[in-house]
Amino acid sequence: MCAQISQSDGESIFADLDDEGSEREEEISPRKRQLRLYRRALGEQWRVLSQDNLVVASVITLLFFITMAITAPFVAPYGQTERLTADDGTIAQWEQPFWYGGEGGYVLGTTAEGYDLFSQLLYGSRAALLVGLLAAVFVAGIGTMVGLVSGYYGGRVDDALMRLVDFMYGLPLLPTVILLVALAGPSLVNLILAIIVLQWRTTARVIRSQALSLRERPFVKAAKVAGASDRHIILKHLAPNVLPLTFLYGAFSIAWAILTEAGVAFLGLGDPNHVSWGTMLQSARSYNALTHEAWWWFLPPGICIALVVISGFLIGRGYEEITNPELQE
Amino acid sequence: MGRAQFVVRRTLQLIVTLWAVATALFLLFRSMPGDPTTYIVDPSLSGEARERLIESYGLNEPLHVQYMIYIQDVATLSFGQSFHSNRAVRDIIALYLPRTLLLMLTAFFFAYLIGITVGIIAGWRRNSDFERRSVFIALIARSFPDFWVGLIVLWIFGAWLDVIPMSGMRSGGIQYDSYWNVELWLDTIWHLIAPAAVLGFYLMGYPLLLMRNSMLEVLSQDFIEVCRARGLKERSIMFKHAARNALLPIVTAGAVALGYAVGGSVLIETVFGWPGMGREMVNAVLRRDYPVAQGTFFIFAMTVILLNFIADLAYGFLDPRVTYD
Amino acid sequence: MTTLLDVDDLEVYYETEDGPAQAVDGVSFSVEEGETLGIVGESGCGKTTLAKAIIGILPHNGYVNAGRIQFRGENLTELSDEQRRRRKWEEISMIPQSAMNGLDPVYTIREQINETIETHRPGTDRVESNRIVDEMFDLVGLDPDRADEYPHQFSGGMRQRAMIAMALSLDPSLILADEPTTALDVIMQDQILNRIEGMQDEVESSMLVITHDVSVVAETCDRVIVMYAGQIAEEGPVEEIFGNPYHPYTIGLKRAFPDIRKSNQDLMSIAGHPPELVDPPSGCRFAERCPLATEVCRTEYPPEMEFGELRTYCHHADEIDEEFRPVADRAETWEQTEAAEAKNAKATEATK
Ligand SMILES: Nc1ncnc2c1ncn2[C@@H]1O[C@H](COP(=O)(O)OP(=O)(O)OP(=O)(O)O)[C@@H](O)[C@H]1O
Ligand SMILES: [Mg+2]
Repeated sequence: MCAQISQSDGESIFADLDDEGSEREEEISPRKRQLRLYRRALGEQWRVLSQDNLVVASVITLLFFITMAITAPFVAPYGQTERLTADDGTIAQWEQPFWYGGEGGYVLGTTAEGYDLFSQLLYGSRAALLVGLLAAVFVAGIGTMVGLVSGYYGGRVDDALMRLVDFMYGLPLLPTVILLVALAGPSLVNLILAIIVLQWRTTARVIRSQALSLRERPFVKAAKVAGASDRHIILKHLAPNVLPLTFLYGAFSIAWAILTEAGVAFLGLGDPNHVSWGTMLQSARSYNALTHEAWWWFLPPGICIALVVISGFLIGRGYEEITNPELQE
Repeated sequence: MGRAQFVVRRTLQLIVTLWAVATALFLLFRSMPGDPTTYIVDPSLSGEARERLIESYGLNEPLHVQYMIYIQDVATLSFGQSFHSNRAVRDIIALYLPRTLLLMLTAFFFAYLIGITVGIIAGWRRNSDFERRSVFIALIARSFPDFWVGLIVLWIFGAWLDVIPMSGMRSGGIQYDSYWNVELWLDTIWHLIAPAAVLGFYLMGYPLLLMRNSMLEVLSQDFIEVCRARGLKERSIMFKHAARNALLPIVTAGAVALGYAVGGSVLIETVFGWPGMGREMVNAVLRRDYPVAQGTFFIFAMTVILLNFIADLAYGFLDPRVTYD
Repeated sequence: MTTLLDVDDLEVYYETEDGPAQAVDGVSFSVEEGETLGIVGESGCGKTTLAKAIIGILPHNGYVNAGRIQFRGENLTELSDEQRRRRKWEEISMIPQSAMNGLDPVYTIREQINETIETHRPGTDRVESNRIVDEMFDLVGLDPDRADEYPHQFSGGMRQRAMIAMALSLDPSLILADEPTTALDVIMQDQILNRIEGMQDEVESSMLVITHDVSVVAETCDRVIVMYAGQIAEEGPVEEIFGNPYHPYTIGLKRAFPDIRKSNQDLMSIAGHPPELVDPPSGCRFAERCPLATEVCRTEYPPEMEFGELRTYCHHADEIDEEFRPVADRAETWEQTEAAEAKNAKATEATK
């Protein structure tokens, strides 16, 4: 992971939020206040992020694929594993796209088994996004919580959690996911679980070092002196301050999770009940689409994967620039 | 704490981590549903042969005894025999691991050579077109799945232009009496080029981006300005001073990345039909050949752990400022 | 005496988001052989920028917009990069403002000094360059055996001295010392200053001492330049500048430092801040903070006035002796500036 985060020792982006206790604040419930705190933090993030055209383009790309995933059943002309027959009653195998001279009017042609590639591509976005987004949310969430707890409490808790993280770092990503998925059975849920189990380590380590330094900041010390509970300090004072980092790692996790899903599916360990871009590539390879030069079979899924992954990286990079002032020119 | 003590402590930590991974593997394979013996002893065997095998592995013993036997086996890297080929897992690893390393190290060497050099120049010429282009290319390289790029390369250069082999590590029918046959090596290199290039391209993005960021950080430090004031030659400032300082974090990150990259060889080996350990592990998993799966997996994990270890030690030797406390 | 360095109408700008910042604007002065010239002024007035322009290490967004830097009769700004590089350190060396961090952390100090010597004098054998290192270490009061250590093994003050040793190693004709004593305690400051003075006699080079500490100048320099917001306010011999200056800024600056001879003087700084360097005021840049400012000060650049050996850039310099000097020590005088009035107005606003 190329994220080398070092937040400057100066004030945090949110330092002012804590000092703004105007009288009105006390009238609203603490819950509302907290909500507002997070919302302001996110709003601020978005304001900075949206100045970067690449980030905006990435968000639009992600939204496009999310829409694709939601609307797939309505847009897709055929089912994902619906065997198509040609006019003469035979299975419509190896059909070329209609704009390439193929028969049957298939947008991207058909597979060797007679499935519609365009429909598969649309449905494939569901697996990718499901894995990418779910894994990202949990990876970032678990990593942040572990990191905060570890960094805030220090001592034994920190030691224990960090030894666990060290152990996790001893596991190679892809082989471990392969092993877990193979033993637990190939399904999207197991795959997501395997990715989460392996990926939270990075976030946890980074957030912990951040929490270690935050713990020494005056506003945290003040809250402690004022008798705030640990839970309160972690959720209200520490969490909003590490939020940009959480998002950074969340964005990167989308990219990694999708790459991992595609890879595992390509190896033949994909969920047999769901077509994904990875399984499309796998069948393209096993049916020798390469030597058939059926590029409409294996080009589009790869491009889709790359687009989603690039979007994840670029959003991450945008965040990296927020969190790492040295990168700002 | 002195350097020696640090090395000792870090070595102990290494052993503990290896032990933890081995234990996790043990628990993982024993906790699978069904008869645990099926994960160690080929279920297709029957009767006496089966009993004998179970006994020879100590599978009739209580769990803690089994665990002790298992740990001893792991310590001697003996993971039993393949269900599929009946060969010792150790021999299988000895056969496949060097092939994986050949591919991986070649790709890694060129990826880091090119990535670091381009990263140095990109950092040195910040805000230039060169910098923007190289960062863009690095992002692209990291975003396209390497196995997919492999497919495209096979399609264009293999199926279409027919200049690279479609699969494998050697052409059939080559006669050789020893491994030091020139023809054999040329043939292997011919097979190696495409997978190494694709893998190298994928791996290149990381050192490139890392080196660029590190250069930017070093270049903003005061001593660089003094180097310029000292009238040193531009090339000397760029490489001997800026890059030398910027390289420190990359060496560590690179060693760690190499460990993980070896595990990532699974995909590229599958695409190019490279008969390496990654592909062997996937095949073993798909065939439910558990001894081989377990053994190859442990080697992958060990690579990661060892390289993490080496990275930690290397840092202390490269950076005179490192103190061990 | 011959002129070593002659800076003529120099403009150094930094490219910034809001446009070029005129960090040095129309500065002219010269340094004679063997002379020590001081440059004083508030933080941000362009002292370091000036030094970097002279030696030729402006950062990537800085550039010489106009003017000449004549060194031994050659205009440095017209030299090729390679010619310029050869003159660095060999002819002009510097003790940078951040001398403590001026050494590369991954090489020993000896390696770095040797490298400098061997770059400029190819063919010097190792024995000879090692001898120079030892000699320089002796000169700055460091144990030559410690030259084989890494910078991080030195204390801050030792690093600063090592930096000075490096600056002297090629026997340059001009040394630019940028705040050579900041970050040091008073005793160490004194030691270093004495060393610098002593060494200068020994190696007979000229020196440009940059500082915002008036006492350093008084101790080490022959002549002084007072800079304000990228321009020269006043220039002259040390005794004149501190004894009988003609620029209101110099007078105000003097008041900002304690003078033990007049113990009950109100110690006060000048209200306000220097102007923005992007698009600065067209007239005198000090006008806003000057008790003597009139309309002409705000619109027209002040002419050069001479008072003996003093050079002063002020519209009202000839009124100083009669009208300003007698009241210059009073706090009320300094209340009558635009900046002070704005500040007071703001203060009363706040109390309301
Ligand atoms: N790289 C840069 N880019 C833009 N502006 C700069 C840069 N370096 C300096 N400046 C600006 O140029 C002006 C002069 O800076 P300079 O460092 O020369 O001041 P100085 O007199 O040395 O101050 P100090 O006493 O604090 O060292 C300042 O206003 C500063 O903000
Ligand atoms: Mg300065």
